[in-house]
Amino acid sequence: MKKTLLKTETLSKSFSNGGALRHVLRNIDLELYQGDFTVIMGASGAGKSTLLYALSGMDTPSLGTIVFGDETISTLSSDGLAVFRREHCGFVFQQIYLLEGMSVMDNVLAAGLLVKRDKKVLAERARELFQAVDISEETQKKFPSQLSGGEAQRVGIVRGLINRPEILFADEPTGALNSKTSLDVLDTLTAFNQQGQSVVMVTHDMRSARRGNRILYLKDGVILGECLLGEYVRDDEARHEKLAAFLAEMGW
Amino acid sequence: MRKSVLLACSNLRRAKGQTAAIIVFILLAALMLNLWLMLAMDYKQNFDRYHHKLNAEHVTLCAQGSGEEMKAYLAQTLEQDRRTKEYCLDDAMSMVGSFAYNGGEMNTDFVVLEKQAALDRSVGKLEIVEEGGPASGVYLPMLYKTGDITVGKTIEITIGSSQECYQVCGFFNNVMAGSHNCSMCELILTDDKYQELEKKGYAPKSILTSVRLTDKWEGEDFEAMLNNKLSAKYPELRVLSNSYALVSKSRYISQMICSGVVSAMAFFVLLIALVVIASNIIHYIQENMKNLGALKAMGYTSRQLMASLQLQFLGISLIAATAGAGLSYGLFPAVNEMMVSQTGIPYDIRFLPLPLAMVLGVLGGAVAAAVWLASRRIKNIEPITALRQGTRTHDFKRNCVPLERTGLPLNLALSMKATCSGIKQNVTICVTMLVISLIVVFSGVMTENMIKDMTSFLNLIVGETADSCVNINTRAEDAFLQKMKEDKRVEKAYLYHSTEVRHVGGVGLMATLCDDFSAANNQDICVEGRFPKYDNETAVAVKYAQEKGLKVGDEVHLTVEGKEEAYLISGFTQISNNLGKDCLLTRAGYEKLGKLSDLSYYLNLAEDVDIDDFNEAMETLFEGDINTALNILSILDGSASVYVSLMTIIVVAIFILSAIIIAFVLYLLVRTMMNNRKQDYGIMKALGFTTRQLIFQTAASLMPAAIVSTAVGLTVSSLIINPLTALFLNRIGIVKCTFAVPVGFITVAGVGLVLLAFAIACLLSLRIRKIAPRALLAGE
Repeated sequence: MKKTLLKTETLSKSFSNGGALRHVLRNIDLELYQGDFTVIMGASGAGKSTLLYALSGMDTPSLGTIVFGDETISTLSSDGLAVFRREHCGFVFQQIYLLEGMSVMDNVLAAGLLVKRDKKVLAERARELFQAVDISEETQKKFPSQLSGGEAQRVGIVRGLINRPEILFADEPTGALNSKTSLDVLDTLTAFNQQGQSVVMVTHDMRSARRGNRILYLKDGVILGECLLGEYVRDDEARHEKLAAFLAEMGW
Repeated sequence: MRKSVLLACSNLRRAKGQTAAIIVFILLAALMLNLWLMLAMDYKQNFDRYHHKLNAEHVTLCAQGSGEEMKAYLAQTLEQDRRTKEYCLDDAMSMVGSFAYNGGEMNTDFVVLEKQAALDRSVGKLEIVEEGGPASGVYLPMLYKTGDITVGKTIEITIGSSQECYQVCGFFNNVMAGSHNCSMCELILTDDKYQELEKKGYAPKSILTSVRLTDKWEGEDFEAMLNNKLSAKYPELRVLSNSYALVSKSRYISQMICSGVVSAMAFFVLLIALVVIASNIIHYIQENMKNLGALKAMGYTSRQLMASLQLQFLGISLIAATAGAGLSYGLFPAVNEMMVSQTGIPYDIRFLPLPLAMVLGVLGGAVAAAVWLASRRIKNIEPITALRQGTRTHDFKRNCVPLERTGLPLNLALSMKATCSGIKQNVTICVTMLVISLIVVFSGVMTENMIKDMTSFLNLIVGETADSCVNINTRAEDAFLQKMKEDKRVEKAYLYHSTEVRHVGGVGLMATLCDDFSAANNQDICVEGRFPKYDNETAVAVKYAQEKGLKVGDEVHLTVEGKEEAYLISGFTQISNNLGKDCLLTRAGYEKLGKLSDLSYYLNLAEDVDIDDFNEAMETLFEGDINTALNILSILDGSASVYVSLMTIIVVAIFILSAIIIAFVLYLLVRTMMNNRKQDYGIMKALGFTTRQLIFQTAASLMPAAIVSTAVGLTVSSLIINPLTALFLNRIGIVKCTFAVPVGFITVAGVGLVLLAFAIACLLSLRIRKIAPRALLAGE
């Protein structure tokens, strides 16, 4: 029995658009489990990114509750949500969003020091992670503008993992990368998941989605279906076919 | 041209906030510049206009004495001198007197004239500006029209030892004797009251001589000549006199101080405005690099792009400058009221095109230069670089404050990183805080030395101060000194007498005589060398010495009543009373030249002694031998209160203006930072930084420059404030100031400035609350 990390009840999100309400998420009941690589898929405008923001505390729902462990995060203030994010979540963005004025190492430490005070321990953890994602010591001293896209996204992953988050949220992490670099990034995420890191990833790319063990398909703000793929194995054609069939069923 | 206009209009529409800030700064600068130019260029000329209008004299002399013989002698002397153009001799009465004024006492030498005789004068005319009510009484100079003294009210005037009550019939203007800083002050009595006072005999009969010269700048020499001739012929004669140069300068000291402060503030605000304009242009170029590239790619030339910026900033600057200059006319009546209470010469506010043209010229030129300097970068922008937002593929920076190695807490470390990366913002803050530090120190020094305790200011402007000054006839000196020795109320009595001597080859000098200058209260008068000790020594005013090229150790020849003696210069002094035409002599030194018929003794009295009671008792005790007994503190209170009010207004204005300027500069900097770092703030919020942490980081990143520049500014300003003030007061003979620098006040003000800057920066950074991480992710 997997441990539930995060649970939503009747989660809804609406936006006012020229006076008219647009319902982006409708009564979503969802549980995220520890150790899962959950992939949220859907067509453009389905509400997948909105769901990711709500689950990660980047945004507050219009209705419904989100409970993380024993804590209801849907009622927290913006600063309360900031503390929640720093303590429990890690983020990997499509546009990477490294802080331009800081070196690679400082980008990671700035996030780490928000939670941990011991610089030595933190720096050691950062070095381990950098080694794991193949970022050299020389690269650690560079500034974001001196990195390639793949390097920058791997640094983004290290930053997202520095605080040992319970969940790593990834919003289209390969969206801005070429296919070779995308593969590296996906391999990195997969590797960390295989070490026990829970990952929630939004994507509209089937090749990326194949990395997940649990696929959620969102349509018009509702989870239309769920597909359990099991543990990822490279070149597993059966897995690919299962996912393709699921997506076909969902109308992808 | 049309393209440039279109671009300028488009820029203005997109930058409403910046435009508003620049308008406010330019408006303030223009307001103060125009005010300063009006005060400096036209206000003093008003004296000449009045001088001309009232056919005023260049030398006034009032000799206590009467009789046709003296009148004839004076007339003959005047007519024989080729410098005389026109003159007028009239009977008058003169005596030291006082009345309550401005919460203190106005104490001066009154010259009393009968109304009709005064109105009939051909030279040194007066004009009655307000009249009505009583038909019998006194007319006072317009300067003394205050809340307490108005037409119809009864005023008590002490004339000599007598107290007279007069109803105020009206007020008049007189150029050379219409104020207490002309060395004599006219009072006009109606015929009945004049005859009444004449009969009482309190005020000796006198002859008032008013002389117009062919060259007004000969006034001081002519005055000295007349004094010398009269004292040679009538040794016992008491004479009051003044000259055009003395009166025209002394009546405008406060105007000079005020216009100096206003000009300094105007240039300071202009400097800030230029920094703001330059930073806006640099920011504009950074923000609009892509647009600039697109425009260049479309065929716009660098010159057209720069011209659009010139049009934009020059346009709004000239409009704001015109509005500011217009506003200065709204403020001028209040300033005029304060100034007239010091000059005593009415000033009719009128439109002055020259100052306006100069304001527009100076501001326009300065803005054009700032825009040109800041926008030159456009020339170097290649379209392709600009289209890439001006960013290079590789941007090698130095990693300031590496987080792994720094001992600073995270938020402070990130603030320091932001500080290191914002060189332009640091320079802007430094310039602002350095200049504000200087004006804070100036305010502190003025508060300490003018508003709180005037001693230093009085020592500088007045020279010697004590509680009481008693002028006695020489024959009663021994008895007087014996009494002073016995009287327990008297702590110190010393001779401090002023008379006139003439420097051979120079002009008439006011000579201050003392038995022993080390006994005087104000030892700061001597600024170089030492006070004269022996009868062959003199100390001369440093300003006069500079003019004449005199050095310590040089020999000067002084003359009185035809006798001439040589004196060695033992030191230099600074006394502004006679606008830097002074010298000090020992009593023995003076007595080699002439005899003294009366002597002024300065007295320091015990704490609890009522000075007026003491003076009255002395007048009773030495009846007939005491010419005057003055309450110096009361006199100073009366005339100093206007300076105190003026300085209080200036200090308050400085603090308000400083706060506004800090707020504006920080507004621009924080706004720029928030625009530049909006994405960073979004990322950091997404990572878990709270709004409070980001606000702290933003405000704290501005503080190192603010703290360092404030500390350096306050320290340097404290060290240079005295030499700087002396430079400013050089025109009235001051070369060295010894104002106490209130370290406590300045430290508190410095801490206050930094805290104010921090609080304002925090308040302005509150906009960070609105930055939502979701918006960043959604690309909003």
